[in-house]
Amino acid sequence: MAPSRAFTRLAAHRRVLGVVGRQYQLQRPYYSYDHPPPPGPFNQTEHAILSAAYTHVPEHGFTQHALSLGARDAGYLDISTAVLPDGPFSLIQYHLITKRQALAPKSRAIFNALDAAPGDGAKGQTMKIDDRVERLAWERLLSNADVIHRWQQALAVMAQPSHVPASLRELALLADEIYHLSGDGAVDPSWYTKRGTVSTAYVGAELFMTNDRSPGFAQTREFLQRRLEESSKVGNALGGVAQWMEFTAVAGVNILRSKGMRI
Amino acid sequence: MELLLLPGRQVRRPALKLCRTGSLRVSARIRRAYSSKPQPDIYDVVCVGGGPAGLSLLTALRANSATAGLRVALVEAQDLNKTRSWTLPPDRFSNRCSSLTPSSARFLDKIGAWSHVKQERVQPYQEMQVWDGVTDARIEFDWAQGATGSTIAYMTENLNLTSGLLSRLDELGGTTIFNAAKVENITLGEDTEDLDLSQWPIVHLSGGKQLAARLLVGADGANSPVRTFAEIKSRGWDYNRHGVVATLQLEDHGWGGDAMKIAYQRFLPTGPIAMLPMPGKFSTLVWSTTPSNAVLLKSLPAKDFIALVNAAFRLRTVDLDFMHTMTSGQDDELAWRLQHTSFVAEAIPQTVVGVQEGTIASFPLKMRHADTYIGERVALIGDAAHTTHPLAGQGLNLGQADVESLAKTIEYSVLHGQDLGTRMSLEGYNSERYTKNHVFLGVVDKLHKLYSFENGPLVPLRSLGLNAVNAMRPLKNFLMDQAAGKGVKLF
Repeated sequence: MAPSRAFTRLAAHRRVLGVVGRQYQLQRPYYSYDHPPPPGPFNQTEHAILSAAYTHVPEHGFTQHALSLGARDAGYLDISTAVLPDGPFSLIQYHLITKRQALAPKSRAIFNALDAAPGDGAKGQTMKIDDRVERLAWERLLSNADVIHRWQQALAVMAQPSHVPASLRELALLADEIYHLSGDGAVDPSWYTKRGTVSTAYVGAELFMTNDRSPGFAQTREFLQRRLEESSKVGNALGGVAQWMEFTAVAGVNILRSKGMRI
Repeated sequence: MELLLLPGRQVRRPALKLCRTGSLRVSARIRRAYSSKPQPDIYDVVCVGGGPAGLSLLTALRANSATAGLRVALVEAQDLNKTRSWTLPPDRFSNRCSSLTPSSARFLDKIGAWSHVKQERVQPYQEMQVWDGVTDARIEFDWAQGATGSTIAYMTENLNLTSGLLSRLDELGGTTIFNAAKVENITLGEDTEDLDLSQWPIVHLSGGKQLAARLLVGADGANSPVRTFAEIKSRGWDYNRHGVVATLQLEDHGWGGDAMKIAYQRFLPTGPIAMLPMPGKFSTLVWSTTPSNAVLLKSLPAKDFIALVNAAFRLRTVDLDFMHTMTSGQDDELAWRLQHTSFVAEAIPQTVVGVQEGTIASFPLKMRHADTYIGERVALIGDAAHTTHPLAGQGLNLGQADVESLAKTIEYSVLHGQDLGTRMSLEGYNSERYTKNHVFLGVVDKLHKLYSFENGPLVPLRSLGLNAVNAMRPLKNFLMDQAAGKGVKLF
């Protein structure tokens, strides 16, 4: 089943007790209205170095070199990059987290603009969840545009075994963020499938984008739309199967009852 | 006050007397000098809904000497006088037709209604041609040569059937009919000094009339108020398809003439299209297709509609899909495409040349099955209990089988002095019909799903299966016996 509020409460309770701090906050893999967002994984120093280093990424890639340049820009010694034990992966994480967090203000801007737009075009309020999800996933992909020529390198770093769990968690948080911002509040078993499908489509599109030379990444957008369409088809088929199974199970009980069994 | 203990509840004397005799002895008792509230009229059986199922049930009860003494009432929202006086010229046919299997026809004959149905407007058919629109794999349901006269089913207009049943019911008499009466509400009765009706459903009609029912029968269609009152859930799904019906005129009397009528059905990926024979040159069309196609079909002028119907039996599915995207000119398009499509003329219905004005209509298709057919003093029959896809043309026959079973159950209760409304008395009906209907609904549902694939591994498999069955005469005969309601009982 989808996570309950109780789990959040438990985490909050633990936090108050001071049993475990950071881990619990970060392990919340879904969006909550009840609690402030957990603080980012970076402290002030790390943040200063990373934000400065990030400006060097387009030129130098997600590398130790970019980090060193960033540390120097931020007024630290080259050696102070040692506060980031993961090295280049921290830089990638920084990218992932800042871009994810930037999605919320962007989404407000997009949908408000749609609402304000004259004519009978798509309105932010009335757009279907699926369309909103597609729009937000696309927006997130676009924010990769500046570093897309370095992104294959980043993917390679993320795929290193020690970094896989953190990368996957970040992906899960992104999928959850997208669904949250699209206004989907359903907490049935489809909670998992929806987030799973948007993650798959997003990862595929991201990979596609690294080789996309079309103006404005138009082909990537088509790719994303096709993947999401496919997954919604699969979702419908799965929904049909689930509906049929429920019907058959109930009918089985009804048949036994019709034969006089007391159940 | 004298009390008598019955399983689970207390019944006071007057109610018991009513039960024994099955008539309203207590009416004198109910009448009082002071009248605070209108008293309900008490009936043994109140049937809500005057469709084929409801009318057959009441006719069956009235026609049987054991149950003829019951006090029965029919509540119908439509004006039954229109049905009574229903008549059409011999060359006009209503668009809502059903196929009645021989076993349904036998039942109707047994209750004396079959002879009241206008026989000149009933068309038996002896052969059935079914094929796959994608691969053209085919199965021919025809009785072996020499065995002519074996009927697969009878095509009847629904109005012909209901007017026949009504005429038989009028002939038998004794039924209180509340014509054009709307059911406003159904509640449980009250426990008063004279009568304990707290377990009895009371039907409130528009105009303030109240009917208390020992047994309330819901024959009131798919959105049954009786089912809602009994809090019986109905489960299933919509097919996202519409059934388009029309009365068609063919160029001739069919390939086998009037003696050997043939029903045709082609499974297209959007849904099956069926053409079923009516007397003479006429046929009735049932085409299940997507809602958007249904809208298109209804909006086309007659000649383009005819072209699409002809195309649906002849052209390849891609060509047909294309013709559905055209907004006009299907007639010319078909003439051109037919030159480039090869088919065996005798294997498909004769060319449609006309469609009767105002007969093109459509309705949404769905599958529903109630959780149970019975409750305390409630029974559901026909569409109130189950709704199915029309591809097997069996919806009405399932309803008739329900009626036969329920009438038998009621007869048993009356003969054995039981209260015919209690759940225990009704259990026989539910246990006899539920599994059968469930299996049937399931098979039809699977067929619909199986033939909705345009490509993939299932397509050659289903064709192989169809061809194999076609080649095996004994298996085919067995299936035809089942379809006709003869032969070995499976469930």
